[in-house]
Order: sequence, then structure tokens, then C-alpha cells
Amino acid sequence: MHIPDGFLNVATAATTYAASTGGISYAVKEVNKNLKEKQVPLMGVLAAFIFAAQMLNFQVIGGTSGHLIGAALAAILLGPWAAVLIMTCVLIAQCLIFQDGGLLALGANIFNMAFIASFSAYFIYKLFTSLFGDNKKGRLIGGVVGAWASVLLASIACAIELAISGTSPWQVVLPAMGGIHALIGIGEAIITGAALSLVMVARADLLQPQKA
Amino acid sequence: MKHSFLDQYSDRDSLIHRLDPRTKLIAVFLFILAVSLTSQVLWPVFSLYFVLIAVLVTLSTVPVFYIFKRSLVIIPFVLLITIFIPFFKEGEPIATFHIWTWQVSASYFGLQLFITILVKAWLSILSLIVLTSTTTISDLLHGMEQLRLPRVMVMIFSFMYRYIFVLTDEVMRMRQARDSRNVGGSRLRHVKTVGAMAGTLFIRSYERGERVYAAMLSRGYDGHTRTLRRRDFRLADLIFSICIVLVLAAACLFNYLH
Repeated sequence: MHIPDGFLNVATAATTYAASTGGISYAVKEVNKNLKEKQVPLMGVLAAFIFAAQMLNFQVIGGTSGHLIGAALAAILLGPWAAVLIMTCVLIAQCLIFQDGGLLALGANIFNMAFIASFSAYFIYKLFTSLFGDNKKGRLIGGVVGAWASVLLASIACAIELAISGTSPWQVVLPAMGGIHALIGIGEAIITGAALSLVMVARADLLQPQKA
Repeated sequence: MKHSFLDQYSDRDSLIHRLDPRTKLIAVFLFILAVSLTSQVLWPVFSLYFVLIAVLVTLSTVPVFYIFKRSLVIIPFVLLITIFIPFFKEGEPIATFHIWTWQVSASYFGLQLFITILVKAWLSILSLIVLTSTTTISDLLHGMEQLRLPRVMVMIFSFMYRYIFVLTDEVMRMRQARDSRNVGGSRLRHVKTVGAMAGTLFIRSYERGERVYAAMLSRGYDGHTRTLRRRDFRLADLIFSICIVLVLAAACLFNYLH
């Protein structure tokens, strides 16, 4: 889902850059307010965690393999604004170190995978915990559905940006991206669910702070 | 355990390596912007960009084959997204195929668009590779800080860079343990195992983060990091910037006139 350079036109790239920059500066303020500077080492280690967790790949279908995006897990465990910052750092690193995703397309990639993925997962998680009650079942279902939806919505945003740029026609890019990521999302959902249930058993206190 | 070094060749010494990271970051950004703004099938301009990249690679003494190999990372995206373009754009058909009951034709216009996107993507990624293989991550980070990246993010970034190696080792150990015990089984079980691994990894990372913070605090950490070696904006940077801007301006002018 990392868009390389050359696939977006300049108008789309500029719009998403503006949106992401504004969002990040708000996220920085929000995180400074809630988490304090002392949590920075923790967030750095967790960014490295997302980075490393993306190396845990699994088979999707045929030869293709999917891997965790991690935005949903980060958003549920740390809250959406912290997740946005962590994912942004991961995406910048992937762009500059591995050339996974372009520099001019970075705004769009951050918009899709940091903002849309984190917030969709977080709100769906919140919705389910209020529907089923804030217990183990509600959290697990919320986490699983949120993770699946975050992957799908991020890929659809990606498809829309590509179509607006005139790179690929709507009737191709929407079903192609959406379809593949609906499958990849299942893996993301199961992994997020399994990781959440393990965290709830082993370190239930970690899920408490962001409730307040 | 072994893993390939992230910023390989960035510790060499050359004209390009000695430039201020800010100069390089902005130059690459402008280059990619210029490439994206270039209109379709303007081959002279694209060749000019390519020559520019070739000159930079030669000056930087980074092996050409290494850069070429790294640039292949865009292929999956190209296959997924752009391969269909020639078949969906309207225009004068150049080839028609019959696949089962459909009649599929590739248009000349679509093919041009496809090749243009491919060339743009490739040029952009080449410039990015030149940037990262001539700049160490810590220099790059300092450059981004000077270019007003929020300090919280710079800090997160530097911790992340420090712990990527540690956690990658952790993942590799866990993967080895899984592969040596978990043979066969259904796909669901595989994915569940990965989930348990991700959860374990999260808890270990979180606890490591807590320990690191406590250790840093006890050594006088106050939210700032201090380093000694820095690169400055010098005459070479000015000359380099002027050259890049002139070439890109010429390219854009040519693009505008056509």
C-alpha cells in the first residue's frame, strides 16, 4: 500500500501533504499534553516494535504474503494521536531507509496509513467497547473489526488518490486494492486480536491509561 | 544475528557524502517534484534527469549495481496498479487480444501513460537511493530537525533507529523458534501464532521502553540529546544547490515551452 513517487499528480500530493502536516502538528500538541516528554523513549521503542512486527509475514493466498500494518494495534494500545506519530515515524523511515513509498507521496502515505488507519481502528474499537461493554469480549471484537476495517479503509483511500491522479482508472484500482486488502485485513484482524488477548492476559494494566 | 546494514555505503567519503544533509534532502525533494511535473513522453527532459542521476551516482562512488538492485522495490506496486492502464485508456488501439469472451485492446495513449509513470517512479526512487546511500541516518535526522520536523518526532525517530536492530534480532529469534517447532497445521493456526508473537513482542518492547527510560533518567536525561559531529552548509553546498536548481529550471522551462 506504500505509494511510490511518480504515481500521484502534484495536486494530490500537495493536498495530502498539507492535510498530513496539519494533522501531525496537532498530534504533536495532543501527545505533548497527554503523554509528557518522558514517554518519548517508550514511543520510540514502540515505533521500532511496529517496524519489527511488520517483518512477521504470513501467507495470504497463493504466493502473496501480507504483513501487519500495526496502526490498529498501536491506536488501541496507546490512543490514536500517539499512534499517528508512531506510524508517521515508521513511514518516514520506510521511505528514507528502504525506499518503501516515495518522498513526494509521503504525505499521501501518512494520510492513509497513519491517520485513516489509526482513527478508523480507534473509533470502531470504541464503538464496540461501548456496545458490548468495556470487557474482554467487547475489546476483542472491537479490536478485530477495527483492524480489518483500518486496512480496508486505508487501501480505499490509497485507491481514490491513485484514481484522482489519473494513474489508474476507477473501475480497476478500486476493486483491485479493496479486494486484495480485504483479504490482507483478515490477517491483520486475527493478529491484532491474538496480540490484544495476550496483552490483556499478561499486562492488563497497559490497557488502562488511555481509558481516562 | 546478521541483518543487512540500513544505510549501506553512507560512511564512504566523496563530494556528495560531504554535503550538508539539508542540501541533499531539499535537492531530492525538488528533483522528485520536477520529475512529477514533467508532462508525458517528453523524452529529452527525462533523459536529462537520468544523466543528472548518473552524474550524481558517479560522483558518490556508490556501486551502480547496488543502486539498481535497490530500485527494484517498486515492482510489486507497478504490477498491481499500472499494468492495466494500457488496456483501459481510450485511444487508438495498437493490439487486440481475445481472452475467453472479452475483447481486450491496448491503446497507444495508455501505453505511453504506462511508460511515463514507470520512468517517473524509477527516476524518483533512484534519487532517493542516492540520498540514503550517501547520508548516515543520524545526519539525515539532524537535517530533518533543522528543517523544522517537530522535536518529539526527531526523538521518537532516533530511539526507533536505535532499537530497530535490537527488536529485529528479537523477531528473528522468535521466528526461528516458531519455524523449528511449528510444522504444518492450518493457516488459521499460523496466523494465530504470529498474533501471539506480535503480542509477546509488544510486551517485551513496552517493558524495554520502561527500562530504557528509567536508565536514561538515572543518568540525567532531560529531553535533549547532544552530539558532537555536525555537517554545515559550506561553499560546496552552495555550488551544488545552484547546479541542481539550474538543471531543474532548464528542464521545467523546456517542459513549459512544449
